[in-house]
Amino acid sequence: MSTASLPSDTLAPPPAERKRALEDLLRARRLQADGPPLRGEERRRPIPTGIGELDVLLDGGFPRGHLSEIHGPVSSGRTGVLHALLAGATRAGALAALVDPLDRFDPGSAAAAGADLSRLLWLRGPRCAPEEAGEKTLADATAAVATLAGSLLFDVVTLDLAGADRERRRLPATTWLRLQRLVEGAPTAVVLVADGHVACGPGGKALALEPAGLRWSGPPGPARLLAALAARARAGRHGLRSADLSLAAL
Amino acid sequence: MFGGLHSPRPLPEEGALLALAREFTPRVEATAPTPVLLDLSGLGRLWPTPHELGRALLDAATSRAIEAQAALAFTRGAALVLARACPGLTVVPAGREAAALAPLPLVRLGLPAERQELLHRWGLRTIGDLARLPPVALAERFGPDGPRLARLARGEDEGLLVPAPLPERFETTLELDWPVDGLEPLAFLLSRVLEPLCATLAARGRKAASLAIELGLVDGTAHARVLQPAAPSGEARTWRTLVLLDLEAHPPRDAIARVTARAEPTPARAAQFSLLDPALPSPERLAETMARLHAWTSAGRGGSPQLVDTHRPGAFAVSTFAPGPLPGGRREEPLPAPRVALRAFRPPRLAHVVLRGGSPSFVSAPGVHGAVAASAGPWRASGDWWDVAWSREEWDVALVLPPGRATATGGLYRIFLDRLREEWFVEGELD
Repeated sequence: MSTASLPSDTLAPPPAERKRALEDLLRARRLQADGPPLRGEERRRPIPTGIGELDVLLDGGFPRGHLSEIHGPVSSGRTGVLHALLAGATRAGALAALVDPLDRFDPGSAAAAGADLSRLLWLRGPRCAPEEAGEKTLADATAAVATLAGSLLFDVVTLDLAGADRERRRLPATTWLRLQRLVEGAPTAVVLVADGHVACGPGGKALALEPAGLRWSGPPGPARLLAALAARARAGRHGLRSADLSLAAL
Repeated sequence: MFGGLHSPRPLPEEGALLALAREFTPRVEATAPTPVLLDLSGLGRLWPTPHELGRALLDAATSRAIEAQAALAFTRGAALVLARACPGLTVVPAGREAAALAPLPLVRLGLPAERQELLHRWGLRTIGDLARLPPVALAERFGPDGPRLARLARGEDEGLLVPAPLPERFETTLELDWPVDGLEPLAFLLSRVLEPLCATLAARGRKAASLAIELGLVDGTAHARVLQPAAPSGEARTWRTLVLLDLEAHPPRDAIARVTARAEPTPARAAQFSLLDPALPSPERLAETMARLHAWTSAGRGGSPQLVDTHRPGAFAVSTFAPGPLPGGRREEPLPAPRVALRAFRPPRLAHVVLRGGSPSFVSAPGVHGAVAASAGPWRASGDWWDVAWSREEWDVALVLPPGRATATGGLYRIFLDRLREEWFVEGELD
């Protein structure tokens, strides 16, 4: 990569030369991947999860303007990855939204993951047992996601459907197609979190997680702590690419 | 020429004297309800002599039930002091201001009490006594205030008249020939009300901090709503959307015969943006989005989560979503390593727990069921004994699900024993 610099005679460079130097500087900044993005430029990059292994697997992160998903069974690290995603986005100054129809989000966990809670909009579903959270709650939640994505204010909009698999299946199949159409061209990445595969847009990323074991701090006894949760992540159309990740315990 | 108008009695209304003065001239200075100072330049065509003009002022005051006294002079200071001091009408010819003020007691200058007391100790009793003192000696004792006092006592002016701003009223009303029923036709009418209102605001460099909408209904009643978004807006389109969304949630009882919009003005914001920092969201668009999510946010279930200063597990608060600028250097801070997160059950699910050797060996709760394969704990915590006390014993348990549903590790849950109620609960899933 060539290093651009202003000409030595910076006191009065000719306008054409000054313009060329500025263009060189801007070009250099764009080529420098680890440099801070220019204003407006960052809203074209994918949203990284902040977990190196996953970002490699996802080719940089969750793409904007597409519907993506994170799915896996109980204790497979779905929420840990979701919090890492929200932390990365909010710490970079972007706005993030979490639509949480089952009211499962724990602000303490998100703060421990590094999320800037003041830049996170949390929409909580009605206070009820999961079996009572019916189809209408989920329909309202998808409508809220559509509103948030349509506002163009948020870089990440997430919908947490984990634990509501049965209710989710009752939603019309076109729900996700409409959501994908709505988000196309927007600077927003819409990410679903679910127990199993729900929907993924043509340009979106599907991240499948499965538990790969627990690590404890020692043998069974009063002083033992949960040390980490290991998981295996698969991405791609047929889950051909995989990576191992480890989430530290609280 | 200047005119001072003063009322020694309480006014029927606070701004009555100012309103009276505005009938004679738009250039009126008023720092208090009384006295007020009028710039009478150019009124000689209507009232040929100062006496006629002064008499007209007093007649107008009498017709409004205001007991007033007036003074006309060629300096502002003299007009104000004489209006306060002398009943009836006082007219001072040009150059005679000092002589007119001289016999008045010193207290009429309206000086601060300590300054007044000091001058009294010096033996000064009238304004003329003060005017006769050498300005240089006054400056030596009072600093810059000395010459100012001397000029005031001689009836000389410093500074210019500062006209009181005219009251601004941003209000538009639309009377309908035919009442409208429903929000769809109202949407078009709102544009006709809000666009001129916003244009007036823009012409004065203002935005609306809040908007009061009053719908006159055909049954003679009024349906009033006040909208107060997080940030002021001067866009008619934004206000129209906000009004319609609010009226969808709070519809009028009857058909609408009149629409009135009243804006509370506020200065337009000015902001300097950075080239590198992320852009802040447009306040108008944010307010509009939050209004569209009214069903979620109205019940206090939407907003920005906040941690609260307590050890009570699971405590948090939800505040209005209003993101501010990013603190400097925040983007450069490294993120912590990815962590296991809690997926909370709210409220915690009552559980049946079987203990073996003091440790949980089986857990059963709605949606959570299985033998304990591994566990960590107990971790005891308690607090708030002075308020609503809590005391608990926490365990992290890895469950093996019943045959046929087994996964690699089963589920990992946080359970706790409420030691005050002696009951077990599942707090949430670790994920």
